[in-house]
Amino acid sequence: MARDVHTDFLKLTGFEDWEIGEFMPQWRLASERLKLTDEDVRNAVDEWLPSNFETGLLSVRKILNCFVRETVDLTKAVDYKKNGVKIVYGILPAMSVFYYALKLAAPEKVYVGFPDLFLAVVMQGFFHKLAPLLEDAEQGGITYGCRHCALNKTRFAARRMDIIPDPDISWIWGLVCDEGPKTDEFIKCLQFPNWNTYVLRIPRDQPLYTREDEVDERVRYLAAHMKDGFEYVQKQIGVSVPAQKLKDVVTFRQSYFQKLGQFRKLMAVDPQPYGGAEAYLLSYPLQVPLNTGVERMEQALELAIKEVGQRVERKEGILPAGSPKLMFQITPYCQPWIIRMFKENGVLLSAGGATKKGMSPLRFDDPYLQSAEIWLRGATIVNIGYQAEQIAEQLLTYNFDGMLFGFFDFDRWLGSDDRLLASIVEEKTGLPSFYIEGDFWEDRDYSQEGLRTRVESICEILKMRKIG
Amino acid sequence: MPVIEELGADARLHPARLRQAKQNGVKLVGYTGRFIPAELILAAGAIPHFLGRGGEPEAPEAVLPYMLRFMSPYSRAQIGYHLLGMDPVMKLLDVIVAQCDDCHMSRLADLLEYFKLPTFRVGVPTDWDKELSFKYYYDALVKLRSRLGEVTGRPIGEDALRRSIVWMNTVRECLHRISSLRLRPNPPISGSDFIRLQHYAFSCEPGKLVESLNRVYSKMNDSKGVTSERLPRILLAGHVVAIGDYTVPRLIEEAGALIVAEFLDEGVWHCYRNVGTEGDLMFNLARAYYLERVPPTSFQPSWDSRAKWLQQLVRDFAVDGIVWYQLSFEEIYDMECAVLAKKIDEMGLPFLKLESSYEYAREAMAPLVTRIESFVKSIQLRRS
Repeated sequence: MARDVHTDFLKLTGFEDWEIGEFMPQWRLASERLKLTDEDVRNAVDEWLPSNFETGLLSVRKILNCFVRETVDLTKAVDYKKNGVKIVYGILPAMSVFYYALKLAAPEKVYVGFPDLFLAVVMQGFFHKLAPLLEDAEQGGITYGCRHCALNKTRFAARRMDIIPDPDISWIWGLVCDEGPKTDEFIKCLQFPNWNTYVLRIPRDQPLYTREDEVDERVRYLAAHMKDGFEYVQKQIGVSVPAQKLKDVVTFRQSYFQKLGQFRKLMAVDPQPYGGAEAYLLSYPLQVPLNTGVERMEQALELAIKEVGQRVERKEGILPAGSPKLMFQITPYCQPWIIRMFKENGVLLSAGGATKKGMSPLRFDDPYLQSAEIWLRGATIVNIGYQAEQIAEQLLTYNFDGMLFGFFDFDRWLGSDDRLLASIVEEKTGLPSFYIEGDFWEDRDYSQEGLRTRVESICEILKMRKIG
Repeated sequence: MPVIEELGADARLHPARLRQAKQNGVKLVGYTGRFIPAELILAAGAIPHFLGRGGEPEAPEAVLPYMLRFMSPYSRAQIGYHLLGMDPVMKLLDVIVAQCDDCHMSRLADLLEYFKLPTFRVGVPTDWDKELSFKYYYDALVKLRSRLGEVTGRPIGEDALRRSIVWMNTVRECLHRISSLRLRPNPPISGSDFIRLQHYAFSCEPGKLVESLNRVYSKMNDSKGVTSERLPRILLAGHVVAIGDYTVPRLIEEAGALIVAEFLDEGVWHCYRNVGTEGDLMFNLARAYYLERVPPTSFQPSWDSRAKWLQQLVRDFAVDGIVWYQLSFEEIYDMECAVLAKKIDEMGLPFLKLESSYEYAREAMAPLVTRIESFVKSIQLRRS
């Protein structure tokens, strides 16, 4: 009997046998829209996914499952729109609670999604095939040479290739880079005048080492802005979210965060029991809405905690006990070969865990103020002094042997301070910090072979320090 | 000495003047960008110093050990000269007011602070079409006013503020009058000279500036034109022509064209709109600087209104072609370029995109010269 690679793909990505028959037509349609060939799928099943993710673990397959479902759902957004469903987009990173609240208030009337993100994760992280979308965006006007962000290119290309429709409203979170929000303006001005946007931004004007979540004026400004945005979105799509629903979502978010904190603590055990990319993907619901629901990801998290617990008991890890561990704030799940390459050289790469501040109760009761406070606690979002303090705490709390920065060379915010941070963190902790220029989302400029020597030398240094 | 160069000579004395002033106990206040009203600095009795140098590759390169190489060479240059020991003024400054709008300028503020320079940040929300954003900027200026009062030990009074607003308005009016001479078919001032003149105005002795600018105007008003023939009229658009970065304007004019208008976000005096002198002066300042000027490219939304303004300049100044002068890795300008190029194409106007990382070595210059010469030639052919 001829092999059906699509069935194999769905099995590998955590679909139960009884689900496959029903889901297969949706997957086939989605893969056609995404221009994935049988060969692409075969390669993912036989090589890319097993070599980069620990697909032997059920929890890992269930994590992948959430991404496949969400991406398939994304390709249906065109049909949703035709049927009168209101389309709401956003970009990473954002406070997902507002999107979940919309979904909770009007589940059948609203689609919420971050199209570029899911396309990038699945097309690059699962199939290593994001390049056609990027090239389309480059032909459309986002130049190759200026080091633009692959996510923004993907969003533009997805619209140009009719993978996604115009949104009723794109609530753009410009709290990190400038290019994210301006890409929406680009899309609107250049080609798609119905691309409707609400932008949320906040100046980066806090002195170094300011604990931004403790500055009431700043929390209140951001909260007011979030409220303004949320009200605008509701008005645009004709949906009204009761205040209690938003509160419920924030409460759920915090409980998920606490659960994730438990999981990350287990990750700190030696030998490290779980892979860095998989672990990071579990944090997605905090920053990204899932239109297909958060329940499956929550189940995957609970399963991961169970599986990790079992491994800890058995003293089983992905590398032997005593292997050096390098912290990377946002583990490169879209380029999982980076993690693999470190692993092949005897070094583990994973994100840190929650900080004391992160796990402490919130100061406010109002959901907008809570959301703003949560945001301003975030290590990747705030000024580099506060960021460095949080990184240092994580390095020491979770027993890392060093810190890796880089892979955000396209991001004039997240990537621009890496060298400074490396030097501040090294000074604070005495642990070595490394920097690699590279791209988190795609590897046309920074290939595996191009980075191999750099990775190998970092690993050698870490291993020698560990011995010495 | 030509009248413009008299101002140039005076501007070159700026560092020495600052050193002397410092010795005399006068406070010196540096500032970046276009959202820090020098009116406040003057009203505090301090001397403003605009940080806007560029045009050489060494200064941005000096920042590379601390910053991503894909950052704007202009913002990197502002601290790069200091790191190289080539900025005689930076170490004299009592406070540097750093505009925090986009990533590039905000990271510059980080670097200033990291290198322990006395930094005061002014947040400029780029989502400018909301009331709460305006209020944020307004509040930031109020805090700046108070900080400057602390630095100089002289709280800024309303009368002092009004006087400085009136003076700055006068400078802007002078420059606007001079710029308007370029509406003539044969303008008496070249674009390169007008850009330099604006830069000199940042550094000239305030007491003499207005008189000098009036003399420039009188002299220019009486002269016939830069040349006898009608040269191709160019609009120079983009982010900034930094103080010292005169290669591209010079090459355009050496190729036989004349820059008759600029559409630049920084390094220029935004002289087509003045600040109100009645009522709430802080509100007037905030309104003029934040809401009434053409929004910079980082503001959102801005590209539609910027395109309209550009089209207006094209009509007013009878522009024959546009040169888009972009600095390397300025990602938002790069995107805007595609948007504007489309609109300009619809107008049937020639459009040339140039990119610079301040690398003007002989090897880099040859292709640049060729592109500019070809562009100017193509306009000449269209006109003939």
